[in-house]
Amino acid sequence: MMTRLRRLQPLLVCVLAVGLVLLVGSAMESLRAQAPTVVRYWLWLDDPTEPMFDQLVKEFNATHPTIRVEYQFVPLSEYHDKLVTALAAGSGPDAGRFKDWWLGEFVKLNALEPLPTHIAKWPGRADVIDNLWNTGKITEAGPVYMMPHQFITFYLYYRKDWFAEAGLRPPATFDDFLAAAKKLTDPAKNQYGFGLRGGAGGQDQWLAFMVAGGARLVDAQGKVIVNNAEGVKANQWYIDLFRVHKVAPGSAPTDAYAQVLGAFQSGNTAMFAHHVGSSVLVTQKLGAANVGVVPIPAADPKKPATMATMAGNVVFAGSKQKEAAFTFVSWLSETAPMDKWSGSRQGQLPVLKSVAKLSRYTENIFFKVSLDGANYAVAWPPLPGVGYVSAQGWQANMQRALLGQISSKDMLDEIAKALQR
Amino acid sequence: MRSPKRSSAEASAKSGRGRGWLLPLFLLSPALVLLLGIVAYPIVRAVWLSFHRLEILRPDLTEYVGLDNYRGLLQDPVIRIALQNSILWVVGVVLFQFLGGLVGAVILNRRFPGRAIVRGLALIPWATPSVLVALMWTWMLDGNYGLVNDLLVKAGILSRFQPWLAQPWSALPAVMLADVWQGIPFFAVMLLAALQAIPEELFEAARIDGASAWRVFLHVTLPLLLPTILITTMLRMIWTANYMDLIMIMTGGGPGYSSLTLPLHAYYTAYKRLDFGYGSTIAIVQVLILAAAIVAYLRQLRKNEVMVQ
Repeated sequence: MMTRLRRLQPLLVCVLAVGLVLLVGSAMESLRAQAPTVVRYWLWLDDPTEPMFDQLVKEFNATHPTIRVEYQFVPLSEYHDKLVTALAAGSGPDAGRFKDWWLGEFVKLNALEPLPTHIAKWPGRADVIDNLWNTGKITEAGPVYMMPHQFITFYLYYRKDWFAEAGLRPPATFDDFLAAAKKLTDPAKNQYGFGLRGGAGGQDQWLAFMVAGGARLVDAQGKVIVNNAEGVKANQWYIDLFRVHKVAPGSAPTDAYAQVLGAFQSGNTAMFAHHVGSSVLVTQKLGAANVGVVPIPAADPKKPATMATMAGNVVFAGSKQKEAAFTFVSWLSETAPMDKWSGSRQGQLPVLKSVAKLSRYTENIFFKVSLDGANYAVAWPPLPGVGYVSAQGWQANMQRALLGQISSKDMLDEIAKALQR
Repeated sequence: MRSPKRSSAEASAKSGRGRGWLLPLFLLSPALVLLLGIVAYPIVRAVWLSFHRLEILRPDLTEYVGLDNYRGLLQDPVIRIALQNSILWVVGVVLFQFLGGLVGAVILNRRFPGRAIVRGLALIPWATPSVLVALMWTWMLDGNYGLVNDLLVKAGILSRFQPWLAQPWSALPAVMLADVWQGIPFFAVMLLAALQAIPEELFEAARIDGASAWRVFLHVTLPLLLPTILITTMLRMIWTANYMDLIMIMTGGGPGYSSLTLPLHAYYTAYKRLDFGYGSTIAIVQVLILAAAIVAYLRQLRKNEVMVQ
């Protein structure tokens, strides 16, 4: 009997092992069926210490038990590069925060999921400010690739106390602006009229003044016209602020956001162009009474213009969780999360009508001037070359023009070439 | 007649000799796999990329372009500026780091109160992360309220603040200053270790023979330091040539292209312009130039070493 059992022993072990494997497999399958779908999401924050996004993700995960969002912060300066390489390596996120700068490039590479079928099922779509859907498209008739989320328009900060002391009115035109900048410039005191940003990220400030000067990057047909006569003239005016009138600090060619903000906060400059995202930092430092804000002055006051840029959300074409990813990014564009986000230190403009009409935005002068600017703001066109121009091409050529190494026309020819690549 | 036992032992020994390379290879294999994976493969891949045009998110559109990327070097006006800047960057930084390190090593080798503490503190710049060094120097050199300007104006050396990082003539030297500051401790520590290894009797003998301090340094210290100088300078040249963190953070290669070096040009071309083929070509060219420079440097130093001996 014992000998027989001993002979059967290997067989019994095999049967037991197979049974165990089947049992564990079925338990794993059942666990997997119950496990929430993981959505990997990337974003950058202007202020990485801001806790609001973490709170929003916790709220979403708590109210959507079938989805679990895992997010990762990537600095804006590295965001584009990391995204491209991660997507190429197949390890990219399912969804991510996205700038309109990169839309043309990523759509050309088929890296973004067209969203119309998802949006059609989204109940919040009617609340989005109508023309903002266009910021997520390549052509007006084409599909939406980017959910509008937070946008900015550029305006001009000025030192109210200095202007009052000098008997100056807040500038409305290019002439007013230049006169005020000259009057408030005193190199001996290390004081300058305008904080010109020639370094990283300065292309938005530049574009705001370019369009206010009558230039356009593309015409109605999408043809690049930035290097036409109007463009060259507006660009020359901007370059002359530094080269001829010397109303900007000598560091202007390489000054980035931290430098222009710091110079304004520390009383080295009287004006600088930025958006609502810096309003808390500026007023905290200088006091609300000393800081004024006006729309970007225009060459022709009858033709006001500024620049707008959208930070939206996209779902990547390679994602296996597109439905869940869209659920998350569309939730971010719903009333309550959007109000929380816009009211945080990230403080950009809400894209929902229901949020924009809340008194905390309509009665805040920084939000009000920004939202008014949205009526005539011009965005970067969705061309494949915008990603490169905004990342490096503009900066190198702007700096060369500010240093007198190339002319206004040469600079714009280079930018036009890069935009069309 | 051979016994079966002996014959089996011989066969085993023979087979052992035949497979003697297997065990070392097995033991080396983790390092070998790592080397192949993280050194050999990227090199081969970069060479391959330099002959192709790659759409990174559309690998299906990748095409062989022959020598087009290499021909592009001849039409690229920026490459000449980047090459000049690279040469200035490597030569300037390594030279001043070496001189500073040599002085530092000689000082740290002397006996003075608190020497141990000073030796520890001297390592701080080397131990500081590059990003921190870059940010620290960016703010110290700031044109509006930087410490360096403030001190120079208060000392009466400057009449007004200078935008060190925004002027074409001063941008690269300003970044070089930061790198020299960061790299001096490396040379100082390496040379200090070499100095301490020189037997005291040699100095004594030279002094007894009536040699001045300068002649002792020239004929005793320097020749014995030469092997260390050779290897540290060579390593530092390679590291400095590839080092772009400081430049990227402090000036971004600007203003214009005033501080753009070859690795930064390759990086911008690959990752900002998404032209990985041409970016790799620039990197390959840099490797070739660097390899040629290192070979020439080693040959020259060997000649000098022979002459000194």
